[in-house]
This record gives sequence, structure tokens and C-alpha cells, in this order.
Amino acid sequence: MSLGADRDTAPIQDVRAEMLKGAQSLAVAAPPSKERGITSDLSVDEALLLHAAGWEPLDLVTGVAVVSVPVGVWNWGRGSISLASDAHDASVDQASRLLRGECSKVHGHGVVGVRVDVTVNPHHIDVELVGTAVRPMDGKDKSGRGTDAALAMPFVSDLSARDFTLLERAGWMPVGLAFGASFVYAPRRTAGTAIKQKGQNVELTNYTEAMYSARESAMEKMQRSALGAGGEGVVEVKVTEGPMGFARHAIGFTAWGTAVKLVAETHQFVQPQVVLPLDDAVVTFEAANLRSSGQGKGRRR
Amino acid sequence: MTEETTQPGEAVETPPAPAPAPAPAPVPHDLPKDAVHRLEELEHGLFTSDLSVNEFLLVKEAGFHPLGFVMGSSIYHIGLQTRKWGQSQELTKLTEAMYTARELAMTRMEEEAQELGADGVVGVRLDVNYYEWGSDSAEFIAFGTAVKAEDGTSYRNVQGKPFTSDLSGQDFWTLMQTGHTPQGLVLGTCVFHIAHRKFTQALGSMGQNVELPNFTQALYEARELAMTRMQDEATQLQASGIVGVRLEEKSHQWGSHTIEFLAIGTAVTKRSGEVTLPKPTTIISLDN
Amino acid sequence: MSDVSGPGSADPFDAAGAAGTPGGRHGDLPEAALRRLEATSFSSGLSVPDFAACLDLGLQPVALVQGFCVMQWGWYGAGGTMRGMSPYIGGQQTPGAYSETYRCPHGFVSNEHRSWGQNLEQPWVEEAWNKGYHTAYGRMLEEAGTLGAHGVIGVMDQVSNVADTGTTEFHFLGTAVTVEGGPPPAGGVPWSTYLAGQRLTKSIEAGFMPIAVVAALASVRVWAYCMTEYYMEGSMGGWGNNMGPALVEQVSKAHMASRQLARKHVRQQLVGDELHGATIDVVTRELSAGDEVIDCTLRGNRVRRFKDWDPVVLPRPTVRLS
Repeated sequence: MSLGADRDTAPIQDVRAEMLKGAQSLAVAAPPSKERGITSDLSVDEALLLHAAGWEPLDLVTGVAVVSVPVGVWNWGRGSISLASDAHDASVDQASRLLRGECSKVHGHGVVGVRVDVTVNPHHIDVELVGTAVRPMDGKDKSGRGTDAALAMPFVSDLSARDFTLLERAGWMPVGLAFGASFVYAPRRTAGTAIKQKGQNVELTNYTEAMYSARESAMEKMQRSALGAGGEGVVEVKVTEGPMGFARHAIGFTAWGTAVKLVAETHQFVQPQVVLPLDDAVVTFEAANLRSSGQGKGRRR
Repeated sequence: MTEETTQPGEAVETPPAPAPAPAPAPVPHDLPKDAVHRLEELEHGLFTSDLSVNEFLLVKEAGFHPLGFVMGSSIYHIGLQTRKWGQSQELTKLTEAMYTARELAMTRMEEEAQELGADGVVGVRLDVNYYEWGSDSAEFIAFGTAVKAEDGTSYRNVQGKPFTSDLSGQDFWTLMQTGHTPQGLVLGTCVFHIAHRKFTQALGSMGQNVELPNFTQALYEARELAMTRMQDEATQLQASGIVGVRLEEKSHQWGSHTIEFLAIGTAVTKRSGEVTLPKPTTIISLDN
Repeated sequence: MSDVSGPGSADPFDAAGAAGTPGGRHGDLPEAALRRLEATSFSSGLSVPDFAACLDLGLQPVALVQGFCVMQWGWYGAGGTMRGMSPYIGGQQTPGAYSETYRCPHGFVSNEHRSWGQNLEQPWVEEAWNKGYHTAYGRMLEEAGTLGAHGVIGVMDQVSNVADTGTTEFHFLGTAVTVEGGPPPAGGVPWSTYLAGQRLTKSIEAGFMPIAVVAALASVRVWAYCMTEYYMEGSMGGWGNNMGPALVEQVSKAHMASRQLARKHVRQQLVGDELHGATIDVVTRELSAGDEVIDCTLRGNRVRRFKDWDPVVLPRPTVRLS
């Protein structure tokens, strides 16, 4: 992994000696513990990085919401299907609210590495968010909003622990997930136009406009949700689009990413590190890969 | 959107490609309302970008700030052209369609970037989508992140337009360190029909290991045409070279004998003599 | 080391207590397993890089060990219960920690109309799953213990339904190892982890000693009441129309409850230790509109710190030249 390069400045350890220490620690029965165990979906690397950045994991937290879509919404029509995007927004909002609630309950300041699953069914839109609640080890707020605000409104981010620490080092902090969705009916050409255009190279301008507008509209909703959360930017925007499996004439567009905010006075420049991998096949660091350790079950994106 | 889009636009702004290459790309000044609206919103101090955190920080490190995620699209009806069964030939009408539609999408993306006052667009992706409801038509989409230099220097290209580039944040930073500036994403395309072999020919060479010179020649020619057209675009931008050239071959929905050869890369010019790339650390990654 | 498998046998999630048989007693392992284990050469399911990393740590692979258990039970617990009737009737079943009832807002009673709905945890399903899982796990540990191994690394578990027979197979596979020059764990029960190779090395380097793989299932049954049924079908069933999007509270709550219960069950097995690399798998089986069973499995590595944190250098943006 890319951390390898960083490790050359860290002390080199005798892993055998460490293993022995570990084995010895288990050779004596552990005293009964009253502590509440910590659960997290972080890999060891992520736990290490977070710790180095002064954060500790608290609990695996989730938010799930199922919001109904009235019947008839997907029937043929023209223009945008606003009831479906309303249902999408309501589902996302509720899931985020529940996720934040679980985070606040364990006194977390935010949730990192959130896995996002949005499923659009004919009659309901399901949203599932799963991530790890974290807090600064010194308990002091790092978001510039004060501890009370941080506890009341924890940040939510789909960034991996590595990206989270990178971002924090540059003076930025995640604020929340920004979502936008729009659904439209596929445009139709009249038979007359179709015949006229047969064999010709021609732009189908009303098609272009319909799809273009729908895509822009999803992006705009995402922007509004980011601004509403107090973000100054959205990183790692993901866009998905395609016809609905159950209604091929309806096309859905979604855009989402993590809204971020500059909390330091200015952007902190960090001299990039140039690495030259010596492997035949270069494998880039990806938290998703690390997560699937030995179980063949990775984080789904 | 207006209907004028199939007509040639101002030749000053879009370089005409050489014959028998496609007609000059039309210039739409026709962003949909929603796009303009969204871009106006971005000016309220929010940026959006599909860059990863690593890329975002590298773009910042290179002295640029992301302004917004920009895109352009065009749904294009691709015309018909008769192909001769036994003849290898370029299908100029299809070439033209593929070229024009991509240029339309790219131009709209550039317009969005211009709207934001950007110096350029990084991380450009070009996609082609097919929909069930649009036979013989396809949607050409361009996505990217508009960026602007933080020190106020203009990095626009010789045509006064924002540069475009398909370089990732990492590649963009590296390129800037080598004293080069991207000028534009350049592409050349050629849709070629490869002759079916006559039954007697196939029979003649059955069981033999022989070169099939007309096949070799056809594929050779098609690729050369695509590459030449790409280079011509770079010349128009007065570029000193093209980096990251990819040559893609796709049959789209035409069947196996009709192939689009697409050459694509980022045209660059030298800015200064200095190479300020830090010495790389060699690593062996431990993961597999 | 009696806490390897759980907080104590009183806990319903401590079926693994059965695993606490130190090497020597050949419990219920089949003869074929014993014959295989007597072989002198080692076998291991590790890939070459994982094998190398394992030797580097001073772990000596002993053998590939496995454990099976096939369980049969009625997935639907009180499956014979009619709609609208409590599944606890007759007192055969104990209620779980979670249950909620929903009442029809229409004040209307008919055979067709679902005037009553309930979300309920199905502890009988959870216990059966837990028993199957930990029996198979215990057998794997027993194989390892028989060989005098100290731990099992690279554990893979598979829970699959055997065709349509209403049975479920639990299968564990792992590589038993000994720590060169190290003491056996207290109580003789080997430790275990899903990790192997570099990931295990990093874990050890960071000061996290694996204790056990832990997993738990939470099963929540949703008996839809009229509103849930209508929402999930997208219609209002004649009770008004022009309905906008609405939160389906009953189903949403059942989902949240299943995840919270799974977390609670896992935490009971942690006894104050940490769980790393957790994964959640959710299977939803829809029975009819709104009626469903939500099964949530949470698994991960139970680890314990054995030394203080070592400093790690924070990452910088990286550029690869390749």
C-alpha cells in the first residue's frame, strides 16, 4: 500500500517480537472487563491512521429509511417525475438523521467511511447508510463549530479514513453527505420526425435538452444540499444514471459526494510525495480492498 | 437548444479537420436553462468536483482551485451509410457523426467552464450512452472539473478558451511540475468498414498461415487516419506535443466489421525550462 | 482464557462454550478429520504472500482446519401463526428484546383489513443460527486444539442454505498455526482471526492481538398493518388518494432494530474488547406486501490491545510514477 513509503520514517519493528508479546498477553487470563466494546468497520490501517490524526472509533452506526412512492408515479408522461425525487430526498434525509442520531448517542463528532446504498423500488425508495462514529481523542471540537454543535450535528462523510486524515491535514473537514436526484420520462420522437431524420446525421436537440436538464437538475439539488449543510465544496462527486429496471421509460440521475469546509485559516499546502512503485502490477491503495480482509466481502460502492 | 447545431459554426473557434475528415464542429451557445442556473449557484462560494481527496489536494498544490463539476452532452442521430460487402473503406458519414457529436458535448462542457470563468478543465471523461428508445442514436457526454489558477495567471489556450485535459489530478500536478501546460483534449476518429472476404478468397487461404495484406492495410490506414486527425487538432492549438495518447477501437452498434478507431490525448505546450518534480521514493506495495 | 468464546455460558450467544475443549479430548470430530490431522506434513489455505508473511511473524502453519454444522429449523419460527395473532400464543416461544405494535387508524375491522401489525425480534431464529455458527466454529477450534495449535488465521466462514430443504450449512475453514517459542493461550483454546498475511502483520505491529472471529445474527419479523401494506404497494386501498411520498415507519424501524440488535449481540461477545473490520450483511425476504423478515448478520475480528500505540506518519497526497 502507499503507506509503505511513509513507513520508512517510522521505526522498523521486529514483528516476531511483537507477535510473541501478543501471544504472551493471551497466555494469562484477561481480567473481567466492564468496558463497552468498541465496534467499527475500520481496517487496521484505517484505525492506525485515525489514531495518528488524533481520532478514535466509537461504534458502528447505521441509518435506514424506507419511503413510499405512490402508485402511478412511473407511468408514461412527460418531463420530470418530481414525486420520485421527493421520495428520494425524504429517504436520504431520514437515513442521515438516524445515522447522526446514533452517532450523537455515543458522543461521536462525526461518521467516517459511510457506505451508501440507495435502492429505487417501484413503490418505495430505500436508503441505507453504514459507517463508523469517531471522536477526537482529546474530546475537543475540530470542526470550528464548538463541541456542543459537533455533538448535536455530527459530520457525515463517505471518505475513507485515509482520505479523511489527508483532508484534515490540509485544513479541511467534511460537513455532510450532499445528495441530489432527478427522474425523468424518456423523451419521444413523433413518427413524422423520425422519418424525416432517417439516415441523417442530426442532433436530436429536444432529447439532448431533456437528458441534459435532468442531469443538471440532480447536480443542482446536490449543490443546494451541500450549501444547506454549510459546505464550501463537494469532493468525490459520483454520478449515476440509467433507466429504472422496472420502468425502462423512466430514467434516474443521482449525484452525491461529501460536502467539505475549510476550517483552517487558509488551505494548508502539503508537499506531495512522489512514489515509484517497483511492482509489476501496480495496486493502488483502496480502503475497499483492505476491508475485504480474508472474507471476500468488501464494502460495496 | 436551437436547431442550428448541425450547421458549421464559426471556423475561428473550432479548427476544421482536414479532408476527408469531418466537418468543423458546430458551436452551440445553447446551454439549457438548468445548466446556467446551476452554474450561477456555484458562484455563491461552493465548488463541486468528482476529484478524489488525493487529486483535490494535488490540484490545490499545483496552484489551482476547483470551481465546479462541468458537463456537456449531445444526443445525436447517427446517419446511415451503405457499405460495400467486399470493400474496405472509411464510412465518412459515420466518422462525421461520431466526431461532431463528441465536439458538441465537449464544446458545451467548455462553455460551462467559461461560464464559471475557469482556466481549464481537468479529469475529462468522454462517455457514449445508448438508450432503448433511441435507435440509431447515442448520447455523447463529457464530464470534468473546471479549475482556475489561484494567482490570477491565465492558463487559457491560444484560442482564449479554457484548456481541457483527461489527466487525473495526479497527472495534472506532475505535468505542471515538468514545466508543461495542457492546451486541450485532442481527438481524431475514423469509422472504417473492413471488407468481408469473398468465399473463394477464404477458400484459397484455408489452412495456410499467411498475411492478409488488405486487412493489414485497412486497419493500418484507419488507425493512421485517426492519429493524424488528432495531431492536426494539436497543431491548431500550437501544442508542442500530446501526452497520454490512447487508441480505442469500438464497434458500437454496427456489427463486427465496422469499427471506430478513436485516438485521444492531451495536447501540451512547454511553459518554462524548469522541471521541479521531487525525487521519487521507490516503494513495493504490500497489498495484492 | 475462558472468555475466548463469550462472556459466559449463561449468555444465549455463547454456544461457543462448547468449543472450550482443550486439545486432547477428541470430542465429536469425524474419524476422517482425525486421520487427516495425523499427517506429518502441514497443509495451509494461505496464498504464497500470506504464507511468507505468516512465517515472517514467526507463525508456523500446522494444518488446514475446518468445522461444519448443518442446522434445521423453521425459519419463520412461529410460522403457523395466523395474521393478526400473536406468535407467542401457547407460550412455546420467548419474546425477544424488541417488539412494537401498530394499530389501524381507520377504525375498521374485516378479514381483509390488516387492523393490527407488529415488528418482533425472532430470538428462536437467532439462537438457532448462533448455535449452528458457534458449533461449526467450535469444531474448527477443536481441530486446531487437537493439533496443539495456538491460533487459527485466515478464517473463512460460509453460511449457506442447502437447497430448499429448510436447512442451513455453516462451514469454517482456516489455517492453524503455532507461535514459535510462544506460550499457548490461557485455557488452551486457540485464538482466531479472519486476517492473514500483511493485514495480520499490520494488526500485530499496531498492537492488536486477535482473540476470535465474532458474528451474530439478528432477525426481525415485520407483520404489516394496513398502512404499511398500502405504502409498500403504493396504493391507498380506498382510504383516500393523492398520496405523496411518506416514510414507511414500521419497515424503517424494523431495519434499524435489526442492525441495532446485531450490534448488541456482537458486543455481548466482545467483553470490552474491540471489533475491527466489521461487515454487515442484510437479507430481506419479502413474504407479501410489507410482510417481511429482515436478517442482519454482523461479523468482524475481536482484537485486544497488548501495547501502546506507535506513532504513524500521517499520509501525504501521493503521485505514482509508473
